[in-house]
Amino acid sequence: MARVLILGAGIAGHTAALHAKRLLGRNNEIIVVSPNSNYNWIPSNIWVGVGKMQKQQVIFPIAPVYKRKGIEFHQALAKSIYPEGDSQIANAYVEVSYTDPGRLNQVGKIEYDFLINATGPKLNFAATEGLGPDGHTVSVCTAGHAVDAAEALKSSIEKMKAGNKQCIAIGVGHGTCTCEGAAFEYTFNVDHELRMAGVRDMADLVYITNEYELGDFGVGGMVFTQRGFQTTSKLWTESLFRERGVRAILGAHVEKVEAGKVYYEQVDGTKDVLAFDFAMLLPPFRGVDLQAFNKAGDDISSEIFAPSGFMKVDADYSGKPYEEWKASDWPSTYRNPSYPNIFAVGIAFAPPHQISKPRKSPNGTLIAPAPPRTGMPSGIMGKLAILTIKELLNKGPQAEAHSASMAKMGAACVASSGSGLTQGSAAAMTMFPIVPDYEAYPNTGRSLKDTYGEIGLSGHWIKLLLHYMFIYKAKGRPGWQFIPE
Amino acid sequence: MENQNDSIAHAPLPTAKTLRFRKNLLIQVWRFVAINIKMLNMIRKGHHQK
Ligand SMILES: Cc1cc2nc3c(=O)[nH]c(=O)nc-3n(C[C@H](O)[C@H](O)[C@H](O)COP(=O)(O)OP(=O)(O)OC[C@H]3O[C@@H](n4cnc5c(N)ncnc54)[C@H](O)[C@@H]3O)c2cc1C
Repeated sequence: MARVLILGAGIAGHTAALHAKRLLGRNNEIIVVSPNSNYNWIPSNIWVGVGKMQKQQVIFPIAPVYKRKGIEFHQALAKSIYPEGDSQIANAYVEVSYTDPGRLNQVGKIEYDFLINATGPKLNFAATEGLGPDGHTVSVCTAGHAVDAAEALKSSIEKMKAGNKQCIAIGVGHGTCTCEGAAFEYTFNVDHELRMAGVRDMADLVYITNEYELGDFGVGGMVFTQRGFQTTSKLWTESLFRERGVRAILGAHVEKVEAGKVYYEQVDGTKDVLAFDFAMLLPPFRGVDLQAFNKAGDDISSEIFAPSGFMKVDADYSGKPYEEWKASDWPSTYRNPSYPNIFAVGIAFAPPHQISKPRKSPNGTLIAPAPPRTGMPSGIMGKLAILTIKELLNKGPQAEAHSASMAKMGAACVASSGSGLTQGSAAAMTMFPIVPDYEAYPNTGRSLKDTYGEIGLSGHWIKLLLHYMFIYKAKGRPGWQFIPE
Repeated sequence: MENQNDSIAHAPLPTAKTLRFRKNLLIQVWRFVAINIKMLNMIRKGHHQK
């Protein structure tokens, strides 16, 4: 009997846990460690952040699901990995600190045969002075943050109704952020709310981003075919900004935030200040605070983790110049090179390089959107780790690992731009592959057939369908396994 | 970075017809089906790597 330990119960970890029980469960032990008692369907936080959904609609308690499935759940924070055990414990184990109110701050040691690190990102608000809920801006990264964002937005709308103009700043709070798609989506949901409240003319809506061009989304933009022409996501996105009257500040690194003021520098070196009344700025991500030690107790964190704090996997981390990177440098099995029984999936794995071209301002400030690792690839990686473990258990250590490279996988992004069954709208985009492969697709790096964008009410229905479908799946209801990741 | 909003100002502006198209229930039901098929095809490709 083998023990599979999964750290994190987000999209990647929870998908892994459900598949693990289904595919390995009878004879093997599945354990999940995660600090929160609730599962959060993060993409719908956008709707909580504009007051269109309640927090309870995007979260649910996770322990009952695990109990029903026969998965052991520890509400705890993983602190340190001992992949070789230590002087007292012969097996590999993870040290955890309980967040469960019944065992608060107690320390536990959980042994494993296979470890899946699916701890997602640390929301690194501290990288920018004054950024985030403890500073002067709101966020929609957690359901709780989104509730506060909705409150702040409501108060701004009240002020507009009372005749006071407001500057609404939405975007990313550092030059190295990712998740621009979420900031874009929130911008257009806010635009929609302002129109519904009849105060759109009272708001200066500004999108502030590290993207060099609109439509970059951290993936270097896309080329679509539309009505017999090739067009770009840049033109397509600019068209939406024009239609909705949204201003943009591009190629920006936010240096600091003070009450009502965002200080930023742009790629050309110019520095400026944006005065705001409401600001939702996403934080940059880094790996969570996990350490690793060898049997002798020496700190081996720098061997296991990249400087960004994300875990190293089977990618090429040699640090070649951006122009020399290839699709094949991206990982496909997500196994740690030093300890192949450790996997890192979802946001937790260290990407080898940016997809979007990194730039530096004349002052040396790095302005480089980090590659997005969205829901679908995260789920696919979670399942892949379990399929590989199944092979290893059946065929032994030489068994071939399953592979799922982001350079061979597509992504669907549905960015809603207003809600309502007849009034809603969304920009639905698909791209294939996520990481451009100029050897397979010489002209644009991606398949023109599978890279596509469209704006309309149907996109909103798709987003709503995804919300209900993925919450159903995460609850492990009958037939959940037939819903693709 | 002076011209960033000039570029937006010159981007294609959807006509009233395009905006109606984006909200027309019949057309959108059809687009809903079409986009879902596109997405499923793409998902299938991503799931079947060698
Ligand atoms: C506002 C917003 C909107 C988004 N919208 C979309 C969208 O529309 N479509 C899309 O595809 N993607 C979207 N994304 C991205 C999507 O949410 C991520 O791709 C996805 O959540 C990544 O999954 P993950 O499991 O890697 O990380 P997460 O979902 O963040 O899960 C990480 C898990 O690890 C746990 N954890 C953290 N630290 C530890 C620790 N030390 N020990 C144990 N457990 C730990 C966390 O509590 C959590 O349970 C959005 C993201 C944001 C922020």
